[in-house]
Amino acid sequence: MSQIGSFALLLALALSAYSFLAGSLALFQKSSATDRLGETARRAGIATFAAVLLAAVVLVVAAFTNDFSIAYIYHHSNRDLPGPYKFAALWSGQEGSLLFWSLLLASYGLVLRLRHKTDTRLFAYASAIIAGVQVFFLLLLNFAAPPFGVMQGSLPADGTGLNPLLQYPEMVIHPPMLYLGYVGFTVPFAFALGALIMKYPGEKWIHITRRWTMVTWGFLTCGIFLGAHWAYSVLGWGGYWAWDPVENASLLPWLTGTAFLHSVMMQEKRGMLKVWNVWLIFTTFLLSILGTFLTRSGVVNSVHAFAQSSIGNWFLWFMAIVFAACLYFYWKNRSHLASEHKLESLVSRESSFLFNNLLFLVACFAVLWGTLFPILSEWVEGHKITVGPPFFNRVMIPIALLLILLTALGPLLAWRKTSLESIRRNFLWPSVGALAVAVLLMLMPSRWGTPFGMKPWQEISSLYALMAIALSALVAFTVISEFVRGGRVIRRHTGRNLFSSMVQLGHRNTRRYGGYIVHFGVIVIVIGLSGTAFNQNKEKEMGFGDRMNIGPYSLVCRSYTQDDNPNYASEWAIIDVSKNGKPLTTMYPERRFYKASEQTSTIVANHSTLQEDLYLVYEGQNQDTGRPVIKVHLNPLVMWIWIGVWIIIVGTILALVPNAPAPVRVASPAPAREPEPEPIGAGN
Amino acid sequence: MLKSVFLKRALQFVLLGAVIFTFLAADQDARFQSIGHQLMCSCGCNQVLLECNHVGCPLSDGMRNELASYIQRGDSDNLVMQAFVQKYGPTVLLAPTTTGFNRLAWIMPFAVLGFGLAGIYFVVRAWRKRAAPLPAGSVPLAQGEELERYSEQVRKETEV
Amino acid sequence: MNPTLPLWIICALITLGTVFYVFYLPGELHLGPRKSRLAFLRERKDVVYENLRDLNFEYSAGKFPDSDYRSMKASLEEEAASLLAEISRLENAFPDSIRANKGVRF
Repeated sequence: MSQIGSFALLLALALSAYSFLAGSLALFQKSSATDRLGETARRAGIATFAAVLLAAVVLVVAAFTNDFSIAYIYHHSNRDLPGPYKFAALWSGQEGSLLFWSLLLASYGLVLRLRHKTDTRLFAYASAIIAGVQVFFLLLLNFAAPPFGVMQGSLPADGTGLNPLLQYPEMVIHPPMLYLGYVGFTVPFAFALGALIMKYPGEKWIHITRRWTMVTWGFLTCGIFLGAHWAYSVLGWGGYWAWDPVENASLLPWLTGTAFLHSVMMQEKRGMLKVWNVWLIFTTFLLSILGTFLTRSGVVNSVHAFAQSSIGNWFLWFMAIVFAACLYFYWKNRSHLASEHKLESLVSRESSFLFNNLLFLVACFAVLWGTLFPILSEWVEGHKITVGPPFFNRVMIPIALLLILLTALGPLLAWRKTSLESIRRNFLWPSVGALAVAVLLMLMPSRWGTPFGMKPWQEISSLYALMAIALSALVAFTVISEFVRGGRVIRRHTGRNLFSSMVQLGHRNTRRYGGYIVHFGVIVIVIGLSGTAFNQNKEKEMGFGDRMNIGPYSLVCRSYTQDDNPNYASEWAIIDVSKNGKPLTTMYPERRFYKASEQTSTIVANHSTLQEDLYLVYEGQNQDTGRPVIKVHLNPLVMWIWIGVWIIIVGTILALVPNAPAPVRVASPAPAREPEPEPIGAGN
Repeated sequence: MLKSVFLKRALQFVLLGAVIFTFLAADQDARFQSIGHQLMCSCGCNQVLLECNHVGCPLSDGMRNELASYIQRGDSDNLVMQAFVQKYGPTVLLAPTTTGFNRLAWIMPFAVLGFGLAGIYFVVRAWRKRAAPLPAGSVPLAQGEELERYSEQVRKETEV
Repeated sequence: MNPTLPLWIICALITLGTVFYVFYLPGELHLGPRKSRLAFLRERKDVVYENLRDLNFEYSAGKFPDSDYRSMKASLEEEAASLLAEISRLENAFPDSIRANKGVRF
């Protein structure tokens, strides 16, 4: 079996190398003979997908048939591992995840090469560039991190099993989502670079890649938050984000990618910022490679230590080559990127996009800076230091608050220039509303629970939380006013009721109104994040009938017990919870000991409501008394984060729906014109 | 593996329970929380000291006890931090200090923001002064009767 | 018999199949049209039209005061009209190119 896998990878390398070389040759030497060469390159790209798929299938089959002669399967699976986790073994180790990455890239490449009729030349460029990236990953898979290495010596009876931290349902989908996001940025990157190399006339390539970029962004967003949710539910330290280097690595391309999604609108609508956009997408791609490098190389300390190895240098070289190529083609064709319009006013949609991009990039820089500062400090000072959550929170919160403010302002500004009169018109009521929310939060009694009764003058964290919620309210009010005003116009024209008018409004310009819904999801998340300012926790050893109080909750330990199955042994406690004296629920915090890997993990018990999460961790057992040690966290508003993510998903999907055709008033044909001829060229 | 930890935990609870809940005022508890969230567990788990929960951690219990005893003794925040740096090295602090080279860590993000704002200011100024806007794909501007005629057509075709 | 023989045969067959798929190109290739200047101008026109529709819509939603609206509308209309003029000039100059679906090389 393993030989077929190795063979498939070698074949895939040959095919992608051919696709890259022949494709490039065909594009640089134009003649009718090279057209046929280009077609073989495209087909070789398609065949790459089949070969990589074959390799991945072989690895998955080996996991399911417990083929421990393959070292990778021995290290990442065992006989008693449940089926879905055996499947997940494909991406739970380094070699497998590189194979998975390569497979995803090949799938994106497949779709792209099958859709080449949209614009054959542009797609040929993109296809060659993707083949080039694919060559890199297949080189790694063939020579640096082969997934089909065989075990030396006698055949082991059972594998060492999957890391227990990864044995959690979300962990089965978190890596694929994140990888789809990372890998997906290769597509807009390839189109942008291709369009630059061929001096593609016009901005249609943006239109073509728009959906790719949004889908990729959606996957990356889901991946990041699934990771946060996994950390919250499995790691059992009571939080969801620790500013760990690997978490930061996923945030970097997300930040620049988000900036790109916004600023590319300037290019599409106004023909501006071309140089900026090209470099933004180059950077995003490089950062997603850097993310992999940080995860894999071990240059920075991280809780994701299970993924470390020595292939870091390969990534550094690859990034250097990609950067050099980008720089070369940019320098060669920079005249192609001249701007078509000038900026008319500092108070305009255009400049709000500039500020938006600046803030995203400063955020990206701050995260990167904080992540790499320990290395810098070691260089300069000779010793490592730690840059952890207190640093990131202090630096990132002000930037984030500015971004939320801009989220409220930007969409209401007009293109070109906005007069004071129009600002007053658009912001008066939303601002009054946001102020009212802030006052309400401060005046209401704190016995109503978080976030009421805030005292921002006492603590900076409370002030930040209040600002975050008030600004979120501002965004919410501006989004609502956009929907209502637009809905009213439609109602005037169609006579339908306001709600169905707003639905039609969304359908007429899905990208804009989908985007507003995404903004709405973002502020719901921000409200959830601001709950962190009011977190509490307590820890206690709890025997039968022992009681612990936190906030309005009272916890009584009814019992504790243990259990055993082939995969793991577990201990858990049974805790009766009451709120304000009324019985509420029973919770079962648990700790598992996985036999194959000899590791333990916590299974958190979480009672989640809109207002707060009651989060119970089984910390351990006092060996003398046998009583469990229970840690309880009271985390306000956390559920809002997960709700916000769902809203973002809905908004992203809505933005992908094609627009309803504008209600065209058929104009009288212009003089001396034939009926609209068949459009020529690209993109229909 | 588990046993020694639980023994330690038991000891820790006796001590912590005694120290925190009996002797310390609520203010000291708040200080324990606040300083404990600015220190890292030094066992290599890369977690915040008060959030380190991995089984078999050889250090976090001892470090928490130390922290509690320093606070009980009435040491200032600065003194406590310094004691930890002395014993566990500079990586025990979760955020860079605001002295020496480490100051750069704090300054740079805001410096970049400042440069960026200045950059936008100059870019906008330059763009506003930019000669005539380049018409898209160098299309000559329509004039006179032609402009009238096509503008009329545009108006009709883009009504809401 | 050599136990690895079936593996060799499988690998050889896969290679053959792949080579056949990649290099056997029967019939006409779909190369797609070159992008013409006309097509480019039409794209531009669509973008400017969309901007104008957006502007009109937001104005009727009450987002801009009259003076802002009039100046923005005028400049967009001028741009669109120039594009229309150029498009019709090209269409009249190269009527064949429209039917032959080739267009002017950009």
